[in-house]
Amino acid sequence: MSKVWMPLDNAALIFPAIRRKNWSNLFRQSVTLTEAVDPALLQQAVNELMPRFPSFYLRLRRGVFWYYLEEVEAPPRVQEDYAYPLTFMTKKEMRRCCLRVFYYRNRIAVEFFHVLSDGGGAMVYLKTLAARYLTLRYGADIPPEEGVLDMAAPPDPAELEDSFQRYAADHAAYCPEAEAYRLPGKRELGCFFPLITGLIPAEVLHEKAKAHGCTVTVFLSAVMAESILAIQNQRLPKRRQKPVKITIPVDLRRLFPSRTLRNFALTVNPGVDPRLGRYTLEEICRSFTHQLAAEITPQRMAGRIAENVEPQRNRLLKAVPILLKTPVMRAVYNRRGERLGCLNISNLGVQKLPAAMAPYVERMEFIIGVQYSYPNNCSVVTCNGITCVSMIRSTQSTELERRFFSRLVELGVPVSIESIEEKA
Amino acid sequence: MYCVKCGVKLAEGVKTCPLCATPVWCPDEAGEKEERTSYSRRYPVISRQERLTAMAALTAVLLAAMLACLSICLNMTGRVGWSFYVIVGTAAFYFAFLLPLWFRKPHPMVFVPVSFASVCLLLLLLSGYTGGHWFLTFAFPLTLLLAALTIGALALYRYVKKGTLFITGGLLMACGGACLLAEFFEHLTFGTDMFTWSVYAAVVFFLFGGFFILAGMIQPLKEHLQRKFFI
Repeated sequence: MSKVWMPLDNAALIFPAIRRKNWSNLFRQSVTLTEAVDPALLQQAVNELMPRFPSFYLRLRRGVFWYYLEEVEAPPRVQEDYAYPLTFMTKKEMRRCCLRVFYYRNRIAVEFFHVLSDGGGAMVYLKTLAARYLTLRYGADIPPEEGVLDMAAPPDPAELEDSFQRYAADHAAYCPEAEAYRLPGKRELGCFFPLITGLIPAEVLHEKAKAHGCTVTVFLSAVMAESILAIQNQRLPKRRQKPVKITIPVDLRRLFPSRTLRNFALTVNPGVDPRLGRYTLEEICRSFTHQLAAEITPQRMAGRIAENVEPQRNRLLKAVPILLKTPVMRAVYNRRGERLGCLNISNLGVQKLPAAMAPYVERMEFIIGVQYSYPNNCSVVTCNGITCVSMIRSTQSTELERRFFSRLVELGVPVSIESIEEKA
Repeated sequence: MYCVKCGVKLAEGVKTCPLCATPVWCPDEAGEKEERTSYSRRYPVISRQERLTAMAALTAVLLAAMLACLSICLNMTGRVGWSFYVIVGTAAFYFAFLLPLWFRKPHPMVFVPVSFASVCLLLLLLSGYTGGHWFLTFAFPLTLLLAALTIGALALYRYVKKGTLFITGGLLMACGGACLLAEFFEHLTFGTDMFTWSVYAAVVFFLFGGFFILAGMIQPLKEHLQRKFFI
């Protein structure tokens, strides 16, 4: 029987090209249950999900002209979690499976190489995996709703499509952007990324954002921008300062009627320029709200998709061997990809669970890895009334985390901190 | 428990605040509590064995090839002969390009001079073996010149953070000068005519170098170029 394979979607094309010998673009989603996880049952759930999620059980292969994804021979083995999340995924591992499943005490965690999916698609996989595990463990009857898929149904072709190709506009929307301030600190810790997690009551955070006239994502981005502005002020004279911009991924499934489980997100980079004057938090919130409103429209996003899809459709470029394409893609990414924002804030929003599943779940976490040249990154998810803000870094310094969480406390938002390691 | 400095709530059992390193003191807690971390203490094993094995295999293959050439040549002609070129060339190639691959982070400021030194040694041996008299007056100064230009460019781009246009302009002009010098060495060694081809090359280098320096000095021109060549 021939193996199932699929070409990379438009957003995924870049990830194999930009991986380095000690860095690749990974993200992790986890669900913390009320009781300890049984690894044997978790393995059974992982195995049973394989036919339903063919776009997740894949390994990365290199063709002559493009990378592609090929069906794995066996589902990945669940393993005990490492001391640090998102440890480096080697090329060898990627050739085996681009997905890793971990357990530790009450937690089930799944790490995805970004070629498979984005946060939105991966969340569907995690919820279905957790639902299947709970069914096996407790016999819970969990209906296919709130992002949990029907295990008995065959995979829908719409879930496997590259939606970028479908929703690209006829005309590309080119928009050159200014370079953003680069947060200080070089990668010091090799393949280990310390993580500080802030747990915030979702209700309080939502109220606070509402009081500032913005969404939770904008509010957190504005507080982050304020913290970065303070760091830049401390380190650079005004004439040498650069705009402080936050990269916010946008789930395009909310703008287009797509049901894909593969990558379908774009980023926008709202920011403020400190050379133009000082900003209060209210002003940053207002500015970010307007910038996002102007950028996040179906028409504008379709134009941006077209910009990305154009080179992929170019017949001449298609015929260039992957060995030549890779360095060019990497050079373009180095030039543009990591220079337009200070860090990412990726918010998966409020994750609802089926009523039969909710009593077994304590909380959910979402962690995006650091970019190759950014020292920090931030990701947010809300579940069961707890907003979980995960800040990962590749340096020793916790200055940004300290400023960000202290500022939230100052604004009247209670924050509980959890960390992998204590500061010496 | 809360951090007195940051105001954030901390997990039970922690001894210092993860954000600001302030020691945590709680009068109500008698005795030490076990810290409950949210991650295990399992570390992935990351080895560089694969690369080292590959390098060792490559070294062994090259050594075997050199020895095979030597033995064939000795058997056929009874002297070192043509195998000398193979052995010396392979050794120079190894030291110039493969030696850095043994190291995790080869520092270019160390290995580039080593590469040039090995090329220089190769040329000296070839010159001596063939009975040519071109090493001291032509090959050596030319290699030295190229090494100085390469190392200078590396150091400037690596350690000087600003003034890239000035550095590029200066280096292009230095390349122009190097062309003139190269032809001078050629004239000195082989008796060819002075300043024929090198003048054209030098003029082109000087023009481009001057343009880069000018672009560095004139802000509007610099910005125009940045816009035009934006990737």
